Amino acid sequence: MGKNTTVAVPKKKVNWKIYLKRYWQLYALIALPLIYLFIFRYMPMKNILIAFKEYKLNMKLGDMPWASNHGMKYFIKAFQTPDFIKALRNTLMLNILDLIAGFPAPIIFALILNELCFKRFKKVVQTIAYMPHFLSWVIIYSLSLQLFAPNGGFISELIKASGHEAIPFLGEAKHWVATYVGMGVWQNFGWGSIIYLAAIAGINTELYEAASVDGAGRFKKMWHITLPGIKPTIVVLLIMNLGGIIGGGFERPFAMANPAVMNVAEVIATFVYKVGIKGLKFSLTTAVGLFQSVVGLFFLLTANWISRKLGERGIW
Amino acid sequence: MRKKVLAVLLAAVTSLSLVACGAEKAPASTAPAASTETPASTEEKVEEGPDQYGMQDGKFVETRHISVELYDRNVTEGTDAGDNAWTKWIQEQMLDRYNVEVEFITVPRWTEGDEINNLLAAGTAPDICYTYSYPTIQTYANMGGVLDLAPILDEYRPYVNNMFDWLTEDAIYQDKDPSTGTLWAIEGKRNEICRINTFVRKDWLDKLGLKAPTTKAEFEEMLVAFRDNADTLLGADASKMVPYSIGSDVGWRIATLIESFMDPEITDKELYVTGYDSRRLPMNGTKEATQLVNKWYNDGLVWKDFYLYKAGDATEDDMMKAGFVGAFTHNYDYPFRGNENSINAVLAAQFGEDAKFVAINPFEDKNGKYTKYNYGITGDRKVFFPATNDEVLASLLYLDFMSEASTVEFLQAGEEGVIHTVADNGAWVIQAPDEAHHDWYQNSGKNIDMTINCNGLRLATPELTDLSLAYSYSNVDVQDVQDAIAAAKLDWKTPKVPTVRAIEAEAEGTDLDNKRDQAFCNAVKASVADFDSVWTAGLNEWLQAGGQAIADERKIAWEETYGDAEMLP
Repeated sequence: MGKNTTVAVPKKKVNWKIYLKRYWQLYALIALPLIYLFIFRYMPMKNILIAFKEYKLNMKLGDMPWASNHGMKYFIKAFQTPDFIKALRNTLMLNILDLIAGFPAPIIFALILNELCFKRFKKVVQTIAYMPHFLSWVIIYSLSLQLFAPNGGFISELIKASGHEAIPFLGEAKHWVATYVGMGVWQNFGWGSIIYLAAIAGINTELYEAASVDGAGRFKKMWHITLPGIKPTIVVLLIMNLGGIIGGGFERPFAMANPAVMNVAEVIATFVYKVGIKGLKFSLTTAVGLFQSVVGLFFLLTANWISRKLGERGIW
Repeated sequence: MRKKVLAVLLAAVTSLSLVACGAEKAPASTAPAASTETPASTEEKVEEGPDQYGMQDGKFVETRHISVELYDRNVTEGTDAGDNAWTKWIQEQMLDRYNVEVEFITVPRWTEGDEINNLLAAGTAPDICYTYSYPTIQTYANMGGVLDLAPILDEYRPYVNNMFDWLTEDAIYQDKDPSTGTLWAIEGKRNEICRINTFVRKDWLDKLGLKAPTTKAEFEEMLVAFRDNADTLLGADASKMVPYSIGSDVGWRIATLIESFMDPEITDKELYVTGYDSRRLPMNGTKEATQLVNKWYNDGLVWKDFYLYKAGDATEDDMMKAGFVGAFTHNYDYPFRGNENSINAVLAAQFGEDAKFVAINPFEDKNGKYTKYNYGITGDRKVFFPATNDEVLASLLYLDFMSEASTVEFLQAGEEGVIHTVADNGAWVIQAPDEAHHDWYQNSGKNIDMTINCNGLRLATPELTDLSLAYSYSNVDVQDVQDAIAAAKLDWKTPKVPTVRAIEAEAEGTDLDNKRDQAFCNAVKASVADFDSVWTAGLNEWLQAGGQAIADERKIAWEETYGDAEMLP
């Protein structure tokens, strides 16, 4: 073995050049995405330094003075800010609920779709289910106002007409969280099911035929063939979702929030916007953003490690 | 071979699309750069004719270039905020008078703060910026982003006589720090200081045989009558009845009610120390006022959805225009704003002349008077120069130009026959331009966004201004406007401004205005039983987020300047 590897090293070098020569078209194609990643993802990383410095409007990054406490001033300050703690708590809570409610939904939907016999009906349902994915959250919030506003919201009026008290879907913490998560599931289950449908399509049909011969019914086939068949896909997506458990977008919580529910609606993204961008506290919020990324990376690595320990394929 | 061609083509297309994206943005980023280059080349060419600043006969010898912030209110029926007949007029005038090119940088009105933050951080802020919030400017200054105007004004004082005449020495140096001598901003002046009014539907009162309420109790009875007679007043739309409408900025929308619960004999010191928040959240009396609104809310007298809509949302206005709202509190001229789209004009067009909002004074204080605060002459918009401004004199000349009575008069009232006519009594009647002169449409009322250091009508003489004030709204009844002005002036007080050092804590507070709105909203919509605890929780959160620190530091700063005195001299 050892001998082989020592011989392989110079060979590899030659291989690399040959590959480059032979497949230069492909490398040319990938060059642009790589340049994009480098410029927009890696170059800005130097600005992480702002988290450890006193931000000044009129200075270059290198000239800004270091923050006190060995540059850790803003990390300490973040954890002394009740708003940040609250935003952290809310981010975790909303993302975990999203994961619990939103992760299985596309899988279930894909399984159901897969069982439909009428091709055309299946296509129509699929297309309708995709549509919400293309709506921005501002639009979705307007829709939810039309449906849920206590005065004149369609559903609220229905409830009132049936003689019940209107439910504060948007105005009270618990109900708002349910509406928030529900709207998230509604927006994404159709779109999310695409990847599972693709995975299902890749399962060898002979397995189903063999199971039928053995007398397996629909549910047995689903349980013993379809689900195990898409398990690697599920695991990969779960790992990636766990990586984002402390992250999450800005648009959704920002658009859906109102002053009455800020106690549960303030998440890290909106906190960074309000305090950092609006309040011009760049150092503090860069620290928060860096913290968020590090924790996110930790979750991702841990989930990947556990998955590999359990004998599943990781994402690398 | 085909594969090769395809690959090259694909790569080329992708890179071209990237270049195309870049090209679109190019003009925006190069424009400010041009402004920084001009001065360097001109300074070298000082000859015997022009003075040390490159000026001859009050005009630059070489063309200078400045950029000026301008709000964009995104008015549907309006014109391009940064390119219309008005902006062109200003540009011509400045070029003609001073040989200064003016470029307008438009920023969205409702997110102006964020926008300026970004422009400052990117080093591309306009040479002349304005905002309503002094703590914001203080924050910029702490970060080294703002020029100190004190030495600048010393140096260029002879060039800005109009500005000193208009604003006066007092207002110009109001924000000068007594301990450090720095001046980060110049206060603009308000020429209309009426602030706020409560309005009620006149025709509803008449229909129900009610008199205009003059006390809180009568006001509440009136709201109850509106609620109970929804069928009479609105017929099929009875379920849409909103007796009293408020918005998510509760503190503003119940401001006169709050002031009626305040102590009319409050000392200047207390007013200053607890007065950081423009909505008076921590003041004595605010809790009681909010509690009353909370009771009304739970009695079904207040708009149930008030907290769901963000600032600038038109839903509430549309409700008023549709005729579902009985009463509300807002800017003293709110139902008259917007020409043919003003609330009163739209109501009249649908339901006849009698359907309109009129101003009333229903909130009595403990002495039975209607004490309320006006704006004061300063404390409105403030102008500041970012540290990147290298055309200080040209920028000052712009401010001087904007301080001239004739400039402001033209921007507010335009040419006779286009924007205004003269009534029989000599008053100037401001109106919207016709189709042919649409480019003269005023995107902000009286072009307030352009008259950078003047807020409110300012015609050639103060007498003409007073006479014309009520005529500056088109499509509404002049008498209603005059009544509203009288209502806003009844028992009004002018808040005095102390001269104290900069309050560091004001630049430190986190998200205070949002927290204040949350505190108000949650308190109003709490159940009556929970009101106390919800109010306390909200107030405490605001205090802990920086409100308390500000009050403490203001107290110290007051005592540094005024010692034990409770009142200003």
